[in-house]
Amino acid sequence: MSFDAIGISGTGMTLNQTWLDSISDNLANINDTTSPNNPAFQERFVQAQANPGMNGVSIGGIVYGSAAGQLVYAPGDPNADAQGYVKQTTIDMASQMTDLIEAQRAYQANSNAVNAAKDMYQSALQIGAK
Amino acid sequence: MLESVTMNAMNSALDGYAAAQTAISNNIANINTPGYHAQVVDFASALEKSVAAHSGLLPDSAIAPTTSLDPTRLNGNNVSLEQETLAEVSNGLKFQAASQAMSQQFSEIRAAATVN
Repeated sequence: MSFDAIGISGTGMTLNQTWLDSISDNLANINDTTSPNNPAFQERFVQAQANPGMNGVSIGGIVYGSAAGQLVYAPGDPNADAQGYVKQTTIDMASQMTDLIEAQRAYQANSNAVNAAKDMYQSALQIGAK
Repeated sequence: MLESVTMNAMNSALDGYAAAQTAISNNIANINTPGYHAQVVDFASALEKSVAAHSGLLPDSAIAPTTSLDPTRLNGNNVSLEQETLAEVSNGLKFQAASQAMSQQFSEIRAAATVN
């Protein structure tokens, strides 16, 4: 028996923390505007990848969404072109919020698993005591 | 007494529950990983047979994880958080039961050893 279950949950927590960070990044930039000639803010996606064997999960990479964006008529915006258009990202707020909840709950599930493993190892350390 | 069937069986059970906990932690860590299949450790019937055969020992292969055949979600993942949480709780309690039983055995041995 080794203490590896705690480390495995740690990899899950790291992954979900990264996911939360990228969702925060997406939400923080959801109203960004750029000139129509520039790429729009690209949505951040975190790729989860199972480690071979019983070794938890790792971040396969951060993938970026489309830079196409959408043109919005906003003549007052300093980034507007001659026709009064700016480019905005097409990130969907609702899907970001559901992802946020999912990432948060997954983080909690991993942290509960740490506690369960800790209780177990602690009771193993009590064998033969007293 | 130290190598009795009871002692061997509890030793095997502790190993099995620890392996199951590792599998559960791994499943929860991979709950959103596309294409991941849950790993399950089930050694109960193997241990039962081993105890019936007056051994109590289990080969490593008996506590090796097997892949769950449950239906997958759209992302090819079939980890169920409810199932894993329940397994985690019952697994932890069973581990405690086995570890306390083992402690009990040790205190009996200690009592026998210190009798005079």
